[in-house]
Amino acid sequence: MDNMQQQFIEAGTLMLTGMVFVFAFLGVLIVFINTVLAKLAVKFPDAIAVPSSRPNKKSKSKSTANGDISPAVVAAISGAVKRYRTQHGHDK
Amino acid sequence: MDSLNTLWLSTGLANFELGQVVMMLVGCGLLYLAIARNFEPLLLLPMGFGAILTNIPVAGFSEAGGLLHYIYYAGVDTGIFPLIIFMGVGAMTDFGALIANPKTLLLGAAAQFGIFATLFGAIALNYVPGIEFTLKDASAIAIIGGADGPTAIFLASKLAPELLGAIAVAAYSYMALVPIIQPPIMKAFTTDEERKIEMKQLRPVTKIEKIIFPVGVLAMTIFFLPSATPLVGMFCLGNLMRESGVVDRLSSTAQNELINITTIFLGLGVGSKLSAEAFLNVETLGILALGAVAFSIGTASGVLMAKTMNKFSKEPINPLIGAAGVSAVPMAARVANKVGLQANPHNFLLMHAMGPNVAGVLGSAVAAGILLALVGG
Repeated sequence: MDNMQQQFIEAGTLMLTGMVFVFAFLGVLIVFINTVLAKLAVKFPDAIAVPSSRPNKKSKSKSTANGDISPAVVAAISGAVKRYRTQHGHDK
Repeated sequence: MDSLNTLWLSTGLANFELGQVVMMLVGCGLLYLAIARNFEPLLLLPMGFGAILTNIPVAGFSEAGGLLHYIYYAGVDTGIFPLIIFMGVGAMTDFGALIANPKTLLLGAAAQFGIFATLFGAIALNYVPGIEFTLKDASAIAIIGGADGPTAIFLASKLAPELLGAIAVAAYSYMALVPIIQPPIMKAFTTDEERKIEMKQLRPVTKIEKIIFPVGVLAMTIFFLPSATPLVGMFCLGNLMRESGVVDRLSSTAQNELINITTIFLGLGVGSKLSAEAFLNVETLGILALGAVAFSIGTASGVLMAKTMNKFSKEPINPLIGAAGVSAVPMAARVANKVGLQANPHNFLLMHAMGPNVAGVLGSAVAAGILLALVGG
């Protein structure tokens, strides 16, 4: 009977130590995520995060300040149209 | 006539013992659960077949020189198979939801109460005649509450190898039963209003955060709990391979071919422990009962923790996601999502529940490390 009591005490101690440790460990991990990772995220934002958090930024790079389409895009479209017309003409 | 007699004596029919027949039926039962009921088929199918093979008379699969004997000692006894599987699980895990909402780590921690509370139950079962669990046995049984197969097998192979078969059967059966065990407990501890709570959308997580996270977790484990580094280390290796983006081939192998090959051998190795003398006793019944208790307590404590956090948090937290803290990835998160949808058809909790779900994996690995450090020594 004493042996059982002893085992219950051991199990109780194990439970207390175990739960305190699990909470402490994962608690420190929360601090780690909130400090180190959060700072890293601000310093090194990646390509996926930028458009979703600031959707206007990406479209700005493709258009000029007043909302017109940028010259590079215009050039690409004109090139494609010209090639299409040429090919179209040859077909006829 | 003599040769006929010798031939008869070498047949299975002449050598069958009742225990072997019963264990073959248990093996067939596992095959039935895997094939007809789709209960964790990836592991239960090889495990059930392993149980049949190991109980074949004369063939000696599990004796020295037998195939299952070597598979068990090479991979399960050494702990190598569960660790390789853990690497694959790491390669399949996306910590994004957890990094976006780190508070959910507390839910993963709370759900581990199921493990530690079951220790008491296991010791209390010593009052039942025919059951004699030491603290090592009790710890190996209690880890079923972690709802993490590889962790349970790893810890059982270290602390109570003679109970491994029963522990693995209990762990995987209950993981398959998560959609049946959890919802009534989740509903009992929450009100309809609480189940309807909608949560704020998670922030996007950057690549650098996902790369540094496994490295940080490993560093913490090295500093505070080296006994958990076999599990956490392999898990973090798999996760880093996934998130670094530079070793897609390795990551793909870890989460497909390697984990599949290892699962076959792990299943067979665990099945080889399903022999009549090790399985057909009162202790197995005790282990099955304790496993269910561990799961239920883990689910309830996760839900209660989420309720408490919801009261003090600025952002609303749906208590249902606390149940996902038991791990059982991704089944427990899907269950949380399903119960949430029943209360509020516009409430999608899946991504929110993935946070506590993967936190539960870390939590049970940490709990296993604690049990190894305190009891295994």
